[in-house]
Amino acid sequence: MLLGHLGFDEVDVKERFDCFRGTSKEGVARKYGVVGVNVYARKPLSTVR
Amino acid sequence: MAHTCPVDLDTLRLRAEIESIYRRVATEPSGDFHFHRGPTYAAEMLDYDAGALARLPADSTASFAGVANPHRIAPMTAGATVVDIGCGAGMDLMLAAEAVGPGGRAIGVDMTEAMAGRARTAAKSRGLDNVEVRLGDAMSLPVDSESVDVVISNGVLNLTPDKEQAFGEVFRILKPGGQFLYGDIVVATELSESIRRNIDLWTG
Repeated sequence: MLLGHLGFDEVDVKERFDCFRGTSKEGVARKYGVVGVNVYARKPLSTVR
Repeated sequence: MAHTCPVDLDTLRLRAEIESIYRRVATEPSGDFHFHRGPTYAAEMLDYDAGALARLPADSTASFAGVANPHRIAPMTAGATVVDIGCGAGMDLMLAAEAVGPGGRAIGVDMTEAMAGRARTAAKSRGLDNVEVRLGDAMSLPVDSESVDVVISNGVLNLTPDKEQAFGEVFRILKPGGQFLYGDIVVATELSESIRRNIDLWTG
């Protein structure tokens, strides 16, 4: 995942939301698996990149 | 997985389209859009605290167009400095300002003057003296390096043409040990070049 590649630690998808449900794009979102997500990441205390 | 836009995507047109759409969300939030807006959506579909939203200025919450809920990821500690990338009309920004309290700071960054103006007005109306809104771009944040404890963002960074640059900016401004509470959309399947080249699908 890009966040890890950039040096973030503890990257974790915490929660998913069906944020397009009921919109005109619901079908497209279903087709491609588009969902809202909550993601946690932390910058390390020591940042040697 | 692709992290940058196709080489022939017109990023200037993409930026103009994004500005146009979110200017309209700021001024006509009840208009016709492909995404939900407003506090009822936020409470019912994204698990925001309906009571907390009811205490915020309606002009701000009506223009909320996030896709997740950064406030559920981790608590923000009193006294912390928080940056909200793409703060829009200020709903998440004001919730962050209330969480960190008067000893903390909440700095909103938005590329759309109409949204930034709404956020400033809303924070003033709510009496939040610890809020500052800066006009700026996620690709080059107007924030000093290693100066903030928490970065939040909600439904914004997916619109940037170069994710590595945008996330690199988040990394740059966070203090060591700082937290990134990130809400956005993800796609479960790799998209074709033709889809990724279609600005209408980027913006709606």
